[in-house]
Amino acid sequence: MKEKTGEVVQGTLDMLIMKTLALEPMHGYGIAQRIEQISKGVFRVNAGSLFVALQRLERGGLIRSEWNVSENNRRAKYYLLSERGRKRLSTEAREWGRQVAAIARILEA
Amino acid sequence: MSLIRSLAAGLRSLFRKEQVDRELDEELTGFLEMATEEKIKSGMSREDARREVRLEMGSPEVAKEIVGAAGWESLVETSWQDLRFAARMLRKNPSFTTVAVLTLALGIAANTTVLSWISATLLNPIPGVAHTSDLVTVMRGDRTDHPTPPFSYPDLRDLSERTQTFSGLLGYHDDYMSLTGVAKPERIYGALTTANYFDVLGVHPILGRAFLPEEGTLRAGAAVIVIGYAVWQNHFAGDPQIVGKTIQINRHPYTVVGVAPRDFTGCAPGLRTELWIPVSMDRDVWGFNRPDYRGIFWLNVLGKLRPGVTKNQAQAELNLLMRGIAERFPEDHRDSPNEISLDPLWRSPFGINGYLYKILPMLLGLAGVLLLLACANVASLLLVRSVGRRREIAIRLGMGASRKQIIRQFLIESLLLGLLGGTAAIAITVWTSRSIVAFFPPSSLPLTHDAHIDQRVLFVTIAVSILAAIIFGIFPALRSSSLPVQSVLKEEATSVSLTLHKSRLLSGLVVAQISLSLVLLVCAGLFTRSLQKAQQSDPGFEASHLLLTSYELSPAGYTRATGAAFDRQVLDRLSALPGVESVTLADFSPLSFSIHSDYLQIEGYVPQPYESMEISRAIVGPNYFRTLRTSVISGREFTAADTAESQLVAVVNQAFVDRYWPGANALGKQVTDGGDRFTVVGVARNAKYRLLTSPTEPVIYLPNYQAYSPTHDTTIHLRTTGDPRTMASSVEETIHQLNPELPLFNVNPLSVTMQLGTLFGRVAATFAASFGFLAMVLAAVGVYGVVAYTTRQRAREVGIRMALGAEKGDIYRLVLGQGFRLTLAGLVVGTALGLAFTRLLKAQLFGVSETDAITFASVGLLLAVVALLACHIPARRATRVDPMVALRYE
Repeated sequence: MKEKTGEVVQGTLDMLIMKTLALEPMHGYGIAQRIEQISKGVFRVNAGSLFVALQRLERGGLIRSEWNVSENNRRAKYYLLSERGRKRLSTEAREWGRQVAAIARILEA
Repeated sequence: MSLIRSLAAGLRSLFRKEQVDRELDEELTGFLEMATEEKIKSGMSREDARREVRLEMGSPEVAKEIVGAAGWESLVETSWQDLRFAARMLRKNPSFTTVAVLTLALGIAANTTVLSWISATLLNPIPGVAHTSDLVTVMRGDRTDHPTPPFSYPDLRDLSERTQTFSGLLGYHDDYMSLTGVAKPERIYGALTTANYFDVLGVHPILGRAFLPEEGTLRAGAAVIVIGYAVWQNHFAGDPQIVGKTIQINRHPYTVVGVAPRDFTGCAPGLRTELWIPVSMDRDVWGFNRPDYRGIFWLNVLGKLRPGVTKNQAQAELNLLMRGIAERFPEDHRDSPNEISLDPLWRSPFGINGYLYKILPMLLGLAGVLLLLACANVASLLLVRSVGRRREIAIRLGMGASRKQIIRQFLIESLLLGLLGGTAAIAITVWTSRSIVAFFPPSSLPLTHDAHIDQRVLFVTIAVSILAAIIFGIFPALRSSSLPVQSVLKEEATSVSLTLHKSRLLSGLVVAQISLSLVLLVCAGLFTRSLQKAQQSDPGFEASHLLLTSYELSPAGYTRATGAAFDRQVLDRLSALPGVESVTLADFSPLSFSIHSDYLQIEGYVPQPYESMEISRAIVGPNYFRTLRTSVISGREFTAADTAESQLVAVVNQAFVDRYWPGANALGKQVTDGGDRFTVVGVARNAKYRLLTSPTEPVIYLPNYQAYSPTHDTTIHLRTTGDPRTMASSVEETIHQLNPELPLFNVNPLSVTMQLGTLFGRVAATFAASFGFLAMVLAAVGVYGVVAYTTRQRAREVGIRMALGAEKGDIYRLVLGQGFRLTLAGLVVGTALGLAFTRLLKAQLFGVSETDAITFASVGLLLAVVALLACHIPARRATRVDPMVALRYE
C-alpha cells in the first residue's frame, strides 16, 4: 500500500512552483517530482492543476517557458522564473512565513 | 501588463488553436511518459506503471480539458461553437426562422420607427445645438395649443439685466421675410433676434461672426444679417467671400456678417429658420417699431439656466422680477397674464413638440405592446419547436451536458433570432422613419421633419433586440432544459398526450397574444373613430370647392394705400372669372395654424386677475362669411363699403358672445384693438380655425380695409363651381396680369391644406391601426400554430376516439373548443387590460369615450372570428384523421 499523500494546500501551489523554479529551470514533470520529493511525499501534484497553474503564472508574467531537451533526450517545455516572479516569490514567502508563525503561536498557546 | 499578456496569450490560443493544442498535448504526454519511466525504473512492469500513473495523475484528456477550460478564451470559444450550432439549427428550419425573424422585425421596427421620430424631435429639439438640457422656453399664462410670445423687448431687457438664475435669456420673433434684389425674390423664414441669440445657444457661425452686443440695441450700424447654410448654398452658391457683402431683405440692404452651421435651423422646434437679423431692425423688416414698446409682447424667449439652478428656482425668480416690472408699468401689463412658467424644450409649447410630446410616447407605448406580443408569438413558436428537439436535448443531457449549457445554447439561438430580427427592423425603419413626411400636407409653415436612423436609434435597436431575445427565449430555454432524461429517451413510442403540463405555458402565451392584440385593436379603433369624428365634425365653414392662393405685399414694395388698392383689384378681377362663385381674402386660412391673435379690451367685461385677453383675431375681406359659408346669425357681414373712411366695425363669433357678453345683445358693443375702437355689427356661427379637436374659442373678425397691413400674408379664398384645382392656373394668370413679379405661394384647395389641422390625429390613427392590424395577424398566426401543433400531438387520441365511434362533428368541436376557450380567456384578459390602458389615451380622444362599448365589442367580435377561423383549419384536418393510420403510426 502507498502512503497517504494529500493535495497541495489551497493557494500555495503557485508559490511552491515558483520556489521549485527558483533553483533551476524545470519541465512540468520535474516540478511535480521536486515538490513531492522535497515535501517527502506529503504533497502530490495533479497534472491538471499543475498545468493550469503554469498557464496562470505564465500569463501573469511570473514565469517564462521554452522548449528544450530533457536529461533523457526528450523534447520538453522548460519553465523559468522571471525577475517579476522572483520578487513575487520573496514577498509571498515572507507573508507565508509570517502567517505560519502566527498560526503556530495560536496552536501552541 | 499581465492583463495584456493574458489577453495576448488568450488570443493566441483562440486563433492558433491547433498549435497551442499540440504543444499542450506534447507537454502532457511527456509528463505522463516521464512518470511512467520513473515507475519502471523502480521495478514495475510497463503495463503496471502506465496504470499506476493514470490512477495517480488522471487521464491526459481530462487534464487537457481542465487546462484548456481555465483561460478566458474558452468561454469565447464555446460561445462561438454555440453560435455556429445555433446558426445551423436556424438554417435547418428556414420556415420557422423566417416567421420568427419577420415577427420580431415587425415588432422591433414599430418601436424603432416611433423612436426615430422621438429622437429627431423630442430628443433633438434644436438641431445643431448639442446640449439643450439647460435650455428652457418661457411661457406666460395657461398652457394652450397656441401660446403667445411672453415678453416685450423692454421687459426682456430688464429681466436679462436682473436675473441671477439664467446665464442668458435670448429673444426672437420669427416669420417670413423675402430675399429681394435677386432675379426671383423668395420667401424665407427668418427671425429678428436679440444680439446674444447665438451666444446663448452656443452656436458659432462657420463663416464670419454672430451679432455684437451693440447691434441689438442701436439702430445705427445694425443692418447686419447671419444667413443659414442652405441660403448660402442655394442663393449665393456657397460664396466663400460672402461675409461683408450686402444682400436685400424686404427691399432693405443688410451686410452679411456670418453664415450659420449646416445643421442649425433656429430654435423653434419643427420650424426651419434661415435668416437672422437683430431685433432693432424691426422697422426695416416688418414696418413696426416693436422694440420701443413695453406693452407689445412679441418676443419668444429661451433661457439658459446657470449651472446648478433648477427650473423651479428660475421660474420663481422670473415671476418675482416680472411682478416688479408689472407694478412699475401697470399700463403696459394690465391685460396680460403675468404668471410665467418654464418648459424644457422636449415639451416646449412653442412649435411642433407641444403636440408631439403627447402623441409620440403614447405611440411608443403601443409599439411596446406590439413587441411584447411578437415576443409571446416567437416564444410559443420556440416552445413548440423545442418539443420536437426533446430527444436531442435529452441525449445531450445524458452525455453530461449541464443544464446551464443547454440554457446557454437556447439563449444564444434566441439572441441570434433577436439580432436577425433587429437587423431586418433597421432595414424596415430606414423606410418607415421617413413616412412621417407623408402626413404633412402642403403648408404655409416652414415645417421640418427630418426623422432618420441615428446612433441613438441604432443603439436602442440593438438593446431592444437583445432584451426581446431574453424575454422570448428564457421560458422555452428553462422549460427545455429541465427534461426528465430517462423518460424522454424511453417515451418515444408511448407519448399519447404528452403536453398537458407543457401546454399550460403554451396556452398562457396564446392568451397573452390575444389579449395584447385586443388592447392594440381597441386603441386603433378608438383613434380611428376619434379621427372620423373629427373629420365629420362640422368645422363651421364649408371646405369643399375652395381654392386658396397667398401672396405677401410689403416685400414687393406695396404700402398701406397701394396694397389695399391692389387687393381690391385682385378681388374684382377674380370674381369676374367664369366658374367663380364668390371670392374673398383673409390674413389666415382655417386649420393650418395660421390665425393670429391680439390683446383686446372688451366693453363691459372685467378680466379676472392674470386672465389673458389675447384673443384670436382674423382680418378678412368683404364676403368672407358668404364665401366660407359660415352663417352670420345676427347683424351683417363685411362689405366693400367698410373702408378706412367709414365707421370701424367688427364681427364676433358666438363663442365670443357667450364668453364675454353672456345673455346680452352683442350688436353695437365695442372692442378695442391696438388703440382702435371697433363696433360689433354682426355675430357669426362658431368655426374652428386651429384644430378640429380643440374646443371652439372666441374669435373677432376685422375688415381688411380698416385693419389693413401689407406685412401680413394675404390669402385669397375662392369658391368655385367645379373642381377648385382646375382654377389654379387661371387664378395665377389673373393675379400676374396685375403684377407679373409678385410671388404666389401655397396655391391649394382648402380641403388639402386643412389636413394640417388633423395631422396629429392622422399620425396616431394610422400608426395605431397598423399596429392593431399587425397584432391581429400575429395573434391569428399564434393561435393557429399552437392549436395545429397540439392537434397533431393528439392525433392518436383522436384516432382512438374515432375508433370508439366519435363522429367527425365531435372531433371538430373538440379542437375548435380548445381554441375557443383560449380565445375567450384572451378576450377577457384583454378587455381588462384594454380598460386600464385606454384611460391613458383619454386626453387624445375626440368625440369618443375611452371605454367606448361599440369599439370594445366590435374589436372583441372581430378577434373572436379571426381566432376561430385560425382554429378551423386544424379542426378540419383533425376530422380527416384515419384512425387506422393514427393508431398504427406510433
